[in-house]
Amino acid sequence: MIERRWKKWVYFYIPLTLFVIGTLFPFYWMLITAVRPDEELYRSWRAVNNTPFWTVHPTLAHVQDLLAKTTFPRWLWNTFFIAVVSTAISLVCGLFAGYALARLNFPLAGFLGTSIFVTYLVPPTLLFIPLADIIRNFQLGNTPWALILTYPTFLIPFCTWLLMGYFKTIPKELEECARIDGATRFGAMARIIFPIAVPGILSAGIFAFTLSWNEFIYALVFLSSPEKKTVPVGVVSELIRGDIYFWGQLMAGALLGSVPVALVYSFFVEYYVAGLTGSVKG
Amino acid sequence: MTAARRREIQQAYALLTPALLLLLTVLAYPVAWEVWTSFTDLSPLKDGSAEFVGLGNYRHLLGDAKFQRAAVVTVVYAAVTTVVKLALGVGFALLLARPFPGRAVVFMAVFLPWAYPASVSVIGWYWTLSPPVATAYSLFMGNMKHAVDALFGSGAWAFLSVTLFNIWRGSSFVGVFLLAGINAVPPELFEYALLESRSAWQRFWLVTVPLLRPFLALAVFLSLTTAFADIQNVWMLTAGRIIFPVIGTQAYWLAVQGGQFGSASALSLTLVPGLLAVLLLLFRIFDPPQEDRA
Repeated sequence: MIERRWKKWVYFYIPLTLFVIGTLFPFYWMLITAVRPDEELYRSWRAVNNTPFWTVHPTLAHVQDLLAKTTFPRWLWNTFFIAVVSTAISLVCGLFAGYALARLNFPLAGFLGTSIFVTYLVPPTLLFIPLADIIRNFQLGNTPWALILTYPTFLIPFCTWLLMGYFKTIPKELEECARIDGATRFGAMARIIFPIAVPGILSAGIFAFTLSWNEFIYALVFLSSPEKKTVPVGVVSELIRGDIYFWGQLMAGALLGSVPVALVYSFFVEYYVAGLTGSVKG
Repeated sequence: MTAARRREIQQAYALLTPALLLLLTVLAYPVAWEVWTSFTDLSPLKDGSAEFVGLGNYRHLLGDAKFQRAAVVTVVYAAVTTVVKLALGVGFALLLARPFPGRAVVFMAVFLPWAYPASVSVIGWYWTLSPPVATAYSLFMGNMKHAVDALFGSGAWAFLSVTLFNIWRGSSFVGVFLLAGINAVPPELFEYALLESRSAWQRFWLVTVPLLRPFLALAVFLSLTTAFADIQNVWMLTAGRIIFPVIGTQAYWLAVQGGQFGSASALSLTLVPGLLAVLLLLFRIFDPPQEDRA
């Protein structure tokens, strides 16, 4: 009995605790830095009253600074708007393309499917140079539409591929029944298949939303005026000036900009997991 | 060809049109540009038009010591992070596979590093690992950096910080993903395995791993492709200084700072064969030729 309890600690509780500390510590560190007053932030590590892992005088000064001295709320709104619109565009394209590739029999199906997927492999490192020409031709520079147009290039391949996998798991008979009862192909697709595929759609949506919220290089290159920026670019470019880092504000920005996203995800996480499972097993 | 068949083909192309149209208008030109440029000496710093140099850029790269170093670092980076992420992810998934009190909370804690936007959590990591001078921690972390660099050679600390961040974020995703995989396996299979196998170790290798194979393959694929093309995290964790040469940051630097569009394109395209090889290898594991699913 005692031996079993020991085993439970060694194989379960201790590793679990270590994992959780490892995953959460960086967030704790961000939080503590965001509420630490400046004189503590810049105090020597060897000072007698140094408290590295907590603070005695928490302050909201950095948050106030962030909201008052930068256009942070605008960045948040820009990021959200761009992420939502480009995710929506990619989901619609991915749904249609994924359905066609999974269900319909047409010449070049294999070739087109592979080509869409292979575009995911092109390293995005330098694509911003020629993309800048396109943005200039469409006169979209320094507008959110520059990003809304370019983000789907890496979102569509992934959405298409994930949804194609999910559609393949849905039995064909369901659709055939609807067709026999008089539904058109598009009717059956919209009313029978898409509702069943909701976990897959949410899964692809969350993935796409994360990728666009994360994107840095295109946002850095295509947006120039401060009030047009997205959170990642704004935080980095406006709060790091030369070698001066506004650490408290940086951390406050990193926290405020993302807590909403993380919260929303926690509601959808079960669908997300179900969606991934479905796509891979298919 | 019957009318129904023709209709199906038309419908298929109609459905594919939005995706293909967007990809063609936005992506076709940049990709073609990158491939073409890699064969020229295009540079905004140079007067006159670009000259065609054939495979010159590639030939030049192969003999370049800096390229060789970057290629080695990139491969090591991708391989190390993938292996550690898989190990940790399998650990997460197995720990969370059976219900226990507080499982939902632990699950959220595990999921958070991936769900949290990397572009800002990386800032937290940067502060923690490489604080600039005149902060409370700079002396302590500076000593750590020197100790690590002295032990493994300069650049080791930068490598460590980038690798740690990638692992922290990636193992979270692999864990959630593999947990989904374990949940999708009928529990009877695991119960049966419990009766038939001698040790937990044997059970893991003979039952759990084969059942999770498609999930493992996809996790490896995503991990390797993101690590190969990783530029953003490396860039931010080293404050944009090239002390950690991977192919991605080197190509970016060469183009933006050096104005060498031709060689930068060639450099960036050298990643493609590696990625294709990974893809082919994984599809062999992912979709093995004719094997009965018992």
